[in-house]
Amino acid sequence: MRTGAAADRHGYFHEAVRYDSDEELLAVAVPFLLGGVTAGEPTFVAFGERTGGLIRAALPAGSGVEFLTGGSVYARPTAAIRSYRQLLADQVAAGAGQIRIIGELPQIAFGATWDWWARYESAINHAYDDFPLWSMCAYDNRRTPPHVLDEVARTHPRFATPGDGHVPSPTYTEPTVYLREECAAPADPLQDTPPLIELTDPTAAQARAAVQAVDRRVLPPDDVDDLIVAVSETVTNALRHGRPPVRLRLWAGPDRIVAAVSDGGDGPKDPFAGLLPAGDGATGGLGLWITYQSCNHVSLHRGPAGFTLRLTAGNPH
Amino acid sequence: MTGQMGLNCRHEAPNVSSEMAPPTPYGHVCWVYDDPAALDRAARRFLTAGLAVGERLWYVAAGRAEPVVAKLSATPALRDALDRGSLEVVSLGDTYRTGAVVDGPAQVRAYAAATEDALAAGHRGLRVVAEATPLVRTPAQLDAFTRYEHLIDRYMRARPFHAMCVYDRREIDGRAAAELACLHPETNVAETPFQLYAHDATGHRVELAGELDESAEDLFGTALERADLRPVGGRLVLEASRLRFVDHRALLRLREYARQRDAAVVLRSPRAAAARLTALLDLPGLTVEVAR
Repeated sequence: MRTGAAADRHGYFHEAVRYDSDEELLAVAVPFLLGGVTAGEPTFVAFGERTGGLIRAALPAGSGVEFLTGGSVYARPTAAIRSYRQLLADQVAAGAGQIRIIGELPQIAFGATWDWWARYESAINHAYDDFPLWSMCAYDNRRTPPHVLDEVARTHPRFATPGDGHVPSPTYTEPTVYLREECAAPADPLQDTPPLIELTDPTAAQARAAVQAVDRRVLPPDDVDDLIVAVSETVTNALRHGRPPVRLRLWAGPDRIVAAVSDGGDGPKDPFAGLLPAGDGATGGLGLWITYQSCNHVSLHRGPAGFTLRLTAGNPH
Repeated sequence: MTGQMGLNCRHEAPNVSSEMAPPTPYGHVCWVYDDPAALDRAARRFLTAGLAVGERLWYVAAGRAEPVVAKLSATPALRDALDRGSLEVVSLGDTYRTGAVVDGPAQVRAYAAATEDALAAGHRGLRVVAEATPLVRTPAQLDAFTRYEHLIDRYMRARPFHAMCVYDRREIDGRAAAELACLHPETNVAETPFQLYAHDATGHRVELAGELDESAEDLFGTALERADLRPVGGRLVLEASRLRFVDHRALLRLREYARQRDAAVVLRSPRAAAARLTALLDLPGLTVEVAR
């Protein structure tokens, strides 16, 4: 049994809230949250400190709304999908007829890593559609760059507005289409310099050794080990599913290591590759999904020369 | 390894190298050669190392004994040992039933008896160079012999028996060489991606070394099947302190292998990356214990 705007809907009811003032945010969020609690639905807030405080202050004491720690939820898109799917599955198992969540991405997600968060916003239309979820993603017009707001409109089927408004987004694009588009991740300045190592058709073992060779011991060893896992899987995928030549280029900066793995093919056919564990649970589809959870940024580039996956360990910003 | 074991890696076959695993105390070496002169030097060094500690020495020759005796005699200490009888050159047929598929348990019993004989005669143990190529020519022979290699590996963990298992690269293909080499703690076969060998004599626990990735997936499955590990108390424990890399495929395979044996699997690794990978995969029955 679902309630509110999502009543009679199946699966995921995904909305964005674009607000110009705190009052406007509260005018949408508070009725949404209290409506959920009144209906007996598990109701969550995944906001940062400032906006989380606003919401807390606006809700009556003991409202029953639960606050998730937004910062850790939104560390990496694939990890966010994994933890939200677990949360949703647990709530459904406990008998929930609908779950309500309002969340916001941290400001830092609108910078160099926005492309993979845009992919997240698109992919979750599919990834959460297994659950009776009504969620709102809040974007502060005062702090969100215009190009990000454009992508928000393309990745959210509708906008929630004060007064229980639910307005379709005219530019909404199905994830199977959106995720196949070229998404322009900004070049890392390190990529303007010659790579420290460039290998053609390396084995996965040679690729792993190359990452170790460029490690200047400025990153925590665990971060380097995770990048080694990611590069190994990416090179393995390129050798197995891509077209030759497979090329690995590596750069190291004062706070990061960047790896670019290219091949002459078109990249993964599955638009959700990396964001969801692929397909039927066969082991072959897991490599990219693991890669997405082993780096601080993964960007895709499809060009005339083929497909490139760029992986960043350390600080991608 | 070369210093301690006395192996000379300078004359190598094209696909072998001096990059050997670090020494382990029990001396079970897989040596694949295509240069008989290099083998001769390596074998003499291996035997000489045993001579120094008072072991009985055997050279199990695939062909006639006389040419081997002549080659070994080039080292004065080995010539003296031949004269004294503490070094013997025996024919493969006297030690193994050639042309047949090896009976692993029976072969282990034979070497165990020979080791006890050596000890009873006042030696510190038995050290053997075995030219085993004629025992691995067919797929059935290779399958049985690799299973035997793991059985004898366990025995070497318990008793003072040491062996250099010698295979002729010109007669076995790369896959066969890898299947043999990966079940030894030490090898000169550079393309061996990982090694699986006994941690103790019971075979209840094995060690993994090297790297387990997609290229090793099939070989790893074959090695596990041949090692035929037995759980203890519902658990299979693998020591992975020398395992430099393990991917999700190997972890999934280990978990499935243990499940078929109604056991949980524990991988003891110094690498937290393996534990993080395991947490991602969310596989009940698979635990990575991080011991840095």
